[in-house]
Amino acid sequence: MRVRAYMIGVVLLACLMLPGAGAFAQDGAGEQEKKQCLKCHGEQGSVKKFPDGDFVSTYVDAHALDMSVHRSLRCTSCHKEFTNQRHPDRAFRNKLQFRIKESHGCRDCHAEGTIKSRAIHEALFKKEAAGEAVVCTNCHSAHAVTHIAGGNVSKSEEKYCLRCHASEKKMVFRSGESVSTRVKLAELQGSPHRNVGCSDCHFGFSSEEHPRRQFRSERQYRLSSSEICRRCHFDMYTKAAEGIHYAMLSVGKLEAPTCIDCHGGHAISSLGNNRLAVVQKCKTCHSEVYEVYARSVHGGALFKENNKDVPICTDCHSSHGIKDPSLPEFHDTIPDTCSKCHSNAVLMGKYGLSTEVVKTYLTDFHGVTLGLYQKEQKESPERYRPDRPMAVCTDCHGTHGIAAVSGAGVQALKKTLLKRCQTCHRNATENFPDAWLSHYKPSLTNAPLVFIVEQFYKIMMPLMVVGLLFQVFLHIWRYLVNR
Amino acid sequence: MVYREMSDKVEYIRRFSLYRIVEHLVLIALFVVLAVTGLSQKFHALGISQSIIIALGGVDSVRFLHHVAGVFFTALALQHILANFSVIVFRQGEPSMLITVKDAQDALHNVRYYLGLADQPVMCDRYSYKEKFIYWLILLGGIQQIITGFILWFPVAATKYLPGQFIPAAKAVHTNEAMLIFLLMAIWHIYDSMFSPEVFPLNKSIFTGYAERRPETQEKNSGNGQG
Repeated sequence: MRVRAYMIGVVLLACLMLPGAGAFAQDGAGEQEKKQCLKCHGEQGSVKKFPDGDFVSTYVDAHALDMSVHRSLRCTSCHKEFTNQRHPDRAFRNKLQFRIKESHGCRDCHAEGTIKSRAIHEALFKKEAAGEAVVCTNCHSAHAVTHIAGGNVSKSEEKYCLRCHASEKKMVFRSGESVSTRVKLAELQGSPHRNVGCSDCHFGFSSEEHPRRQFRSERQYRLSSSEICRRCHFDMYTKAAEGIHYAMLSVGKLEAPTCIDCHGGHAISSLGNNRLAVVQKCKTCHSEVYEVYARSVHGGALFKENNKDVPICTDCHSSHGIKDPSLPEFHDTIPDTCSKCHSNAVLMGKYGLSTEVVKTYLTDFHGVTLGLYQKEQKESPERYRPDRPMAVCTDCHGTHGIAAVSGAGVQALKKTLLKRCQTCHRNATENFPDAWLSHYKPSLTNAPLVFIVEQFYKIMMPLMVVGLLFQVFLHIWRYLVNR
Repeated sequence: MVYREMSDKVEYIRRFSLYRIVEHLVLIALFVVLAVTGLSQKFHALGISQSIIIALGGVDSVRFLHHVAGVFFTALALQHILANFSVIVFRQGEPSMLITVKDAQDALHNVRYYLGLADQPVMCDRYSYKEKFIYWLILLGGIQQIITGFILWFPVAATKYLPGQFIPAAKAVHTNEAMLIFLLMAIWHIYDSMFSPEVFPLNKSIFTGYAERRPETQEKNSGNGQG
C-alpha cells in the first residue's frame, strides 16, 4: 500500500508538471500508470474467471504493448472504469460477454463511419445489425494491436491456421473429388494479400470457429470460394457480374471462370503487368482462339519479341466486364477499340503505320453511319433500330488472326475482300471492293477519278460563290447609283 | 429613275401557267426535303445535323426520306424534260429557255452597264440570261444528282457495269454538286427573287402567275403561259 500511495503521489506530481500534455501523448504520467498496472498484469499466470468455469488471462505482454499502435495511450484510455485508485471487480456471464464489452471501448475512438469505410467490415456490421456479437479483438487482438498494413494481425492468424494447414490434408467432396487444404506460406507471402489475415477472406473461420462445410463438387467449392473476393473487390465483382462469364454461370454453365480461376487462390496475382500470363490464362479455355492469335501480327510480336505495345486479349475484350463478342453492341465498338492504338501517332510512328486508317474509315460511309448509329443509341435508346450492321475494322481485317497489311498481306487481304463484302452486299461483283479506297486518300495515283472530281469542285465552288456575290454586289451598287 | 417612271403605270402580264406554278411548288418542297436530309448527312459532325437526324428518327430514316424525295425529284425532272421536249418537237410553244447568242450579248452588255460603261440595263427576252443560267444549272445539276444518287443508292448494281472507283467518285460529285446547287439557291435565287431591290420583299410571279412588265425584259403577254 505504501508503494501504491507513493506511486499515486508521483503520478499526480507528474500531471502538475506537464499540464499541457494531451491524453494521447505518452507522458511521464502515462508511463507511470503503465508501470503501475503492469506490476500485476505483467505477471504471467493470473486469470479472470467466469461463472461458467471459463477464464481469460489477465497477462499483458509489455513488449507487445510497446510495439502496438496504442503504445502512446494510457491504460485508462481504454479501460475507462479503472483509475489508480479504483479497480472495480466486474462480473461477466462468460468470456464472450467480457470480450464484447471490452470491444465497445474501441468505438469510442474508432467512429463507426471510419470503420465502415473498410469493405472488410461491411459483413461484420450486417452481422451486428442481425444481433450477432462482433468482437474487434478477434481480428485485431487487444494489447498487441497493430496497423493492419503492418501485418501483425495476419501474422498471428497465419501462425494459428498454419498449424494445420501447412501440412498436406484433403477436403473431400460428395462427388468423390478432393482438394488439398495445404497452404504454402511462401506463396501467401509472395502475394499482394500478404498483409491480409486468413479470416479476412475465410469469413466465419477464426481461432474459435471452424465450420464444417459440404460441397457437391470441387467446382461448387471453387465457385463458392470466389464469392469471398467481392467483399473487398466489389468494383471488379460488379464489372464481372455484367460480363459474359458471369452470365454463363447464371444459366448453369459452371465451367465459366470466376475470380480464382484466373487470379489463383493463395498465390493470387493481379496479372495486370504480366501480359504473357494473361494470354496464357485465357488460353486455358480459349485454346483455338489462342492458336489463331499466336499466328497474327499482334500475337506474333507478343510471343517473338515480347512486344508490350501489341494488344492482348484483355485490351480488346476487357478483363472483368467481358461483353459477348457476338452482340451488336460489342461489334459496333470495335473501331473505338482499334483506334485506341491505331490513332495514336506516337505509337504508330514506332512501326511506320499511318493513323489515317481510322480517319479514312470514320469519314466513309460505314464509319459515318456507325457513328450516327451510336449517337442515336445514346440519345434515344428506345427508338434505336439500325437497319443493318455496319462493317467495322475486323470485318475486313479479321479478328484474332489479323495480318500485317504490307507486302504479301495486301494481296491476301484483297483476295478475301470480295467475300467479306458479300457478307452484307450479297450480289457484289469483282468491281465492288474497289469502291472502298483501302484507307488511301484520293490522289492522281490512287483513285484519280475521285481526286479529279474533288479538285474540280474545290476550284469551282469558291469561283461560283465569289462570282455570284460579285454579281449581287454590282446589282445593288448599280441600283443605288441609279437612284 | 427608270424604275420609278415605270412603277407609275404597272402593267401585269401572264407569266406562268398553273402547271408551272404547281411544278415550282413541288420543286420547292422536294428541294427542302432533299437539302435537309442530304446536308445533315454531309455535315454529320455538326450538332444541328445530329439533332435533325435524331429528330427524324435516325440516319436510316433520313436516308429513306432522301431516297423517297429523290424518286419524286426524278419523276418531276423526267416529266419536265419530256413535256418540254414535246413542246419543242411539236412546236406548241417557243423554246424560251434555250440559250442563244443574244444571252451572251446581254450578259456582256450588263457587265458594261454594271461597270458604268452603258447607261441602260439590257432588254432581255422573256427569260433573262441570269434566269436561264440558274435554270440550266438546276436542270443539269439535278440530272447529275439523279444519276449519282442512284449509283450511291445501288452500289452493288452499279459496279456490275462500272469500275468500283465510280462509287466514291459518284459520292464526290453528289455531295459537292449538292453544295453547289444549295449555295446557288441560297445566294443567287433567294437574292434575285426576294432581296433584289426591284422585287423586294418577294417576287410573287411564280406563285400568282402574273408579273409586272419590267424594263429589263421585252416579254410579251404569252397566252398559254408555257415556256
